[in-house]
Amino acid sequence: MSRTLGRWAGRTVLVVLALAVVLGAWEAYKDWGPKNGVTIAGARILPRTSDAAMPHLSTIWKAFGADEVGGAITLGPAKSVLDSVVSAGLHTLRWAAAGFAIGVVVGMLLALLMDRLRLAERALMPYVVLSQTVPLIALAPLVTKWGQGSSIGSFRWQPWMSVSVIAAYLAFFPVAVGMVRGLKSPSAVHAEYFRSSAAGWWRTLVRLKLPASVPFLVPALRLAAAGAVVGTIVAEISTGLDGGIGRLIITYSQQATGDPSRVYAAVIGAAVLGLVAAAAVTLVDLALWRYSRGADAR
Amino acid sequence: MTQPAPRSPTAASAAVELSAVSKTFTARHGSVVALQDITLTVARGEFVSLIGPSGCGKSTLLRIIADLLRPSSGGVAVNGKPARVARQDQDYGIAFQQAGLLDWRTVAANVELPLELHGVGRRQRRARAIELLELVGLAEFAKHRPPQLSGGMQQRVAIARALAERPALLLMDEPFGALDEMTRERMQNELVRIAGETGAAVVFVTHSIPEAVFLSDRVVVMSPRPGRIAETIAVSLGDRTDDTREAPQFYAAITQVREALRGRPVPDTVEVGVAVDRAVRAQGAL
Repeated sequence: MSRTLGRWAGRTVLVVLALAVVLGAWEAYKDWGPKNGVTIAGARILPRTSDAAMPHLSTIWKAFGADEVGGAITLGPAKSVLDSVVSAGLHTLRWAAAGFAIGVVVGMLLALLMDRLRLAERALMPYVVLSQTVPLIALAPLVTKWGQGSSIGSFRWQPWMSVSVIAAYLAFFPVAVGMVRGLKSPSAVHAEYFRSSAAGWWRTLVRLKLPASVPFLVPALRLAAAGAVVGTIVAEISTGLDGGIGRLIITYSQQATGDPSRVYAAVIGAAVLGLVAAAAVTLVDLALWRYSRGADAR
Repeated sequence: MTQPAPRSPTAASAAVELSAVSKTFTARHGSVVALQDITLTVARGEFVSLIGPSGCGKSTLLRIIADLLRPSSGGVAVNGKPARVARQDQDYGIAFQQAGLLDWRTVAANVELPLELHGVGRRQRRARAIELLELVGLAEFAKHRPPQLSGGMQQRVAIARALAERPALLLMDEPFGALDEMTRERMQNELVRIAGETGAAVVFVTHSIPEAVFLSDRVVVMSPRPGRIAETIAVSLGDRTDDTREAPQFYAAITQVREALRGRPVPDTVEVGVAVDRAVRAQGAL
């Protein structure tokens, strides 16, 4: 395990270094870059260095501490921009998590079905792929309409559920595709061995196919987590749901003429959400290390 | 169609009984007759090798015995039962050219796998795994994972796994095919010992003439396409030791098998082995 720790420490140092390089480049460009940016044949390649386009990092940092002014809609009392970003981030994260969970379950079920029935794979796979070419923005109003007013017993459809469904729509795809490949990954010799042992479908699934699919599933989950966050933010904006980071970005950019640093503050909040999601998947990965290929190296 | 095996299971029934087994594979462009009219009986505790050029259907035949493939016609009985019942009852253990171990399980857990699949309790499984790993000389590697072991060690684990349920029959498809010559001979010695200790009958598919001769009570020589039994050669070498490999009877039996493989006497040459191997390969490539 100590070798694993060492590797993690090394990785952390690299990440911090990379971040430092990006931040340094930002400040250097702001100070020494051409005022009007770089344009080639009318297309802007690099941005202007004005405060409106590229606030100083310190300005963005200070923006977090600035008092919240009217207009930014958050669910809960927000005193500063940081409060707003944190509160909005937590809401978005919750919706994204719900979307991720739905997406993973649906993706896995689809994968199991496609693995079990050749016909299902041939029939479904084209639609699974096709589903991702439908723009989310077009889908969002539809999902909202379907959900609106529907209720089962005491259960009432909430607007955030539409957002989670849209997030799930992005998240299920990598899971379904990765998992199908994973379930089919055991070699012929393994399949023959399980057959010779008279192991039925369920036992073969649990003892062979699921463990074998882990190396395919973990990267798929990482994509799904990122997709769920992006999907939630886009869906918030296109369904007009209040309280999340997507909405906050819009609100701040409408005020941006005065204070662009706030937009960046919200964007950083969104980026942190992505990191949190990725970190959560890394925990899953660590928990399943035994099943990851190359486990012998540890 | 498949005839149901006629016999009821009795202690006296043979380990394997094949009667007029044929197998035809139908592909898009016509069909290939892989096996034709194979009739063979393997007695309890008997070691029988199937040898022949590539494409002679020896692996197909093994898979038919294992009920991994259905014959196109003919009857298959294992332990006096229809092959399917024998598979479900775990009457045989099987090992392939690739060890086929599960990398995420420890060596011991791999050996336990068949027991786990059939609902044997944890403590019993543990005990049996330790016993088997001792049998194949890998007790100290119980907690390792397969990728940490050499090819030969992995193959020994696979053999231990095949023996887990004390099968009366062991089916082996070129299990030493991927090993180097030294390891291979050591594994052969071990297999002779293990087969002797467990009293299991073995059906052993191989490309190697010395291997077949060293291991077997009988060598079944097959001809290619359609696969048929060309000749069955009884080998009596007594107790197998490393000296057996130098014994004149050993060489005599090898020559006999070679001749059967070529279908005519072997010419007198020092490099017979190489020549025959080449001939066998060429024949297989036809």
